Amino acid sequence: MDKSEVNAVRGELSESQNIIVCENVNKWYGDFQALDQVSATIKEQEVVVVLGPSGSGKSTWIRCINRLEQHQEGRIVVDGVELTNDLRNIEQVRSEVGMVFQQFNLFPHLTVRDNVSLAPIWVRKKPRSEAEEEAMTLLQRVGIPEQADKYPGQLSGGQQQRVAIARALAMEPKIMLFDEPTSALDPEMIKEVLDVMKTLALSGMTMMVITHEMGFAKEVADRVIFMESGQIVEQGTPQHFFENPIEERTKLFLSQIL
Amino acid sequence: MSNLSTQPAVEHALAPPEEPKLPPRMWIQKNLFSTPFNSFLTVISTLLILAIVRGLLSFIFNPLRQWNATATNLRLLMTQAYPEEQYIRVWICVAIILIITATTMAAWRVDRRIEVIHLGRHLLTAATGFAIVTLLSPWSVSAKAYWLLISSLLAGIGLTLRRIQGERSVSNLSLVSIALAVGVGSLWVVPYGHHSFVADRVPRILHEPGTVAMSTKLPWTIVLLVAFFSYFGARSMRNRLPAKATKTALVVTWLLAPLFLIYLILRDPNFDMGHVFSTDLPIFLAFAILGSILLVWLTKPTVGELGRIVAAAIIVTGVGSFLIPMRMVVRILLILLGTFSLAAPSFAGGKIARKRYTICWIASAAVLSWLITAVNTPSTVKVPGDFFLGGFSLTLFVAVLTIVISFPLGVLLALARTSKMPIFRLLATWFIEFVRGIPLITILFFFSIMVPLFLPVNMHLTEVAAVVIGYALFSSAYLAENVRGGLQSVTRGQHEAAEAVGMTTAQKTAFIVLPQALRVAIPPLVGHCIGVFKETSLLAIIGLFDVLYIARNVLPNQTAFMGSTRENLLFVSLLYWLFCYQMSKSSQRLERRVGLGER
Repeated sequence: MDKSEVNAVRGELSESQNIIVCENVNKWYGDFQALDQVSATIKEQEVVVVLGPSGSGKSTWIRCINRLEQHQEGRIVVDGVELTNDLRNIEQVRSEVGMVFQQFNLFPHLTVRDNVSLAPIWVRKKPRSEAEEEAMTLLQRVGIPEQADKYPGQLSGGQQQRVAIARALAMEPKIMLFDEPTSALDPEMIKEVLDVMKTLALSGMTMMVITHEMGFAKEVADRVIFMESGQIVEQGTPQHFFENPIEERTKLFLSQIL
Repeated sequence: MSNLSTQPAVEHALAPPEEPKLPPRMWIQKNLFSTPFNSFLTVISTLLILAIVRGLLSFIFNPLRQWNATATNLRLLMTQAYPEEQYIRVWICVAIILIITATTMAAWRVDRRIEVIHLGRHLLTAATGFAIVTLLSPWSVSAKAYWLLISSLLAGIGLTLRRIQGERSVSNLSLVSIALAVGVGSLWVVPYGHHSFVADRVPRILHEPGTVAMSTKLPWTIVLLVAFFSYFGARSMRNRLPAKATKTALVVTWLLAPLFLIYLILRDPNFDMGHVFSTDLPIFLAFAILGSILLVWLTKPTVGELGRIVAAAIIVTGVGSFLIPMRMVVRILLILLGTFSLAAPSFAGGKIARKRYTICWIASAAVLSWLITAVNTPSTVKVPGDFFLGGFSLTLFVAVLTIVISFPLGVLLALARTSKMPIFRLLATWFIEFVRGIPLITILFFFSIMVPLFLPVNMHLTEVAAVVIGYALFSSAYLAENVRGGLQSVTRGQHEAAEAVGMTTAQKTAFIVLPQALRVAIPPLVGHCIGVFKETSLLAIIGLFDVLYIARNVLPNQTAFMGSTRENLLFVSLLYWLFCYQMSKSSQRLERRVGLGER
């Protein structure tokens, strides 16, 4: 499926609402400024790929959006809820924002099924039988229903990452954040994870993805954001970004990775 | 790796091909005499081991040894001064515990099998060891020949079993049952000799040949039969009952059994029924009913801020009630209710969850009310001293209670010390560092002598209770540090993953962090438990009669067994070793079992 078809599926993208709003977000680690006046808005059903060299602040930014890190200045509003120190806001936001980590971070002492169904049972207060049924549906969706009773340690990296995606989806989030989901995988497993992410994007999920998979960015992204030293340097459609970048730093980055 | 977790048999089939087995001569050459230095070491250590074993055996079988001292005083070593006419209570306790154990074993399907070939190998090893012991012992030639015959018989059985073709196996449990049955059966047949210790007779200790006394062999037989029957009864029932409910019921029984066994059976409390019906029961019912109504309301998802205010108000009332005259049971139940109300929002949700939470409250209130009533009722069993346990039962009692109390306390301390809240962190750190800086003996002295002085006038605390509290506080400080080690091994990613799916801190701790932390901490935790068990021998210093004290200071002073210290000490060390070895064995098993999900 190529890009024009994807956009056709998405339909009235331009009409939809801003679901994440960041205004002049600043964050420091000691004296080091990790985020420098980051401002961006992300619309519902939009797929945004964040690119940048390591240490450019892209991970920090995405982790600020579900408050795994705290920003020190500026505003972050997720689905109408501003992220402040108020615990209830944070819990509300977190249960609506799914996150997939580079190192999977599955719970090693629980079976795959329990990994997926634990949060719905305790956070969403769903009956166990219902939650487990939904977990099986999700595992089917990511293509590994037969592994439900195994422990994460018995799965391959690609399978683990797909379980992690299912775990995040089990909370029925409005937004999914991916923090380098394929960087810790062997090359032959990257495709199975990217395929799951593509299906997810096509189903209309709002996604923010940090990745080094340029193929994925070109094929699926609605918008590419390039960051360096904590600043957003350039953003635009993949076509614009990969073919006619404006900024000197973007050109340099692209020349190094392509 | 198709089915690693479910089928142990598959694991076996997937095992790598075994190395070809060397014939014994080659094996010895390869492992023991490969180089001149290795040969030298082998010879030297063999000689050393033989010398030690021979020394030990000639000590044990020396005609001067007074093994009668231990055999006759087994009762004293186990229960010290518990009155003989009340012994039926001890036996009832043992029987009840065995019934629960047997039922639990049946419900959890604890029935591992051992392959016949392995059994044969074990028998062969045992026979060899037995023969060596026989040869080294200072026995007469005819006795040696007799025992050598027996060991060669054992070896013959072992060799035959090893020849058996095919993968046959026998259940471990039936082997243990047969051994137990043979052991108890032999009480009726074999003249072990009967050394009776009768208080009102001169001389008090008599040697009467024949089988052991009826008061020993009959209860053992009955108890064993009861255990067998309950195991097989439970096994035949288990397919008809819902497994999960049965297991839950059994766990609850295990938790509650000690509370009732101690008070109902070993103390035989003289309940003042008028008081129970006029005061204790109404108080409990009032708390159960009103508390349930309150909790049903508090667990509604819509309550919000008002719920926290109510909960805080109840706790403040509970703490404040200590300042005015009031029944202790009311104060304690108030604080418990406050804690339940405070935790209520975490359990808000579906109808079933709310119902369970309310039932949990009623059950906790019932157990607490029962305990307070039982503690306040005097015992009818008259024992010398103020406590009914002594000897090994005291050791077990203090050790088990200390471990059971200090475990949750230690976990809480560890969580507090790693918490983000500075007050908790500071208090926990201070407590741990303070307690770790004091020797155990000081704490024992403090709690047995000083604490009773600080108590209110009409509050009486048994010395043992005071000591258990002190020992539990001491042990919890060390336990907390072990658990903290486990907590630190849980990676930051695990915390973040739990937070990212929206779990609260309590949920994250209970479902994600603690299970992993405790698994890592199993080896140091079990080591700590073994330490607690052994250090109960310090109780002797504050004047309690633990098993070691009796063996060292009481038995050697009996007129019949003057100076029998060494025999008794050897026996007691064997006793300690048996228990500690079992603990470390079960810890290894536990590690293997929970290691299932490891990478």
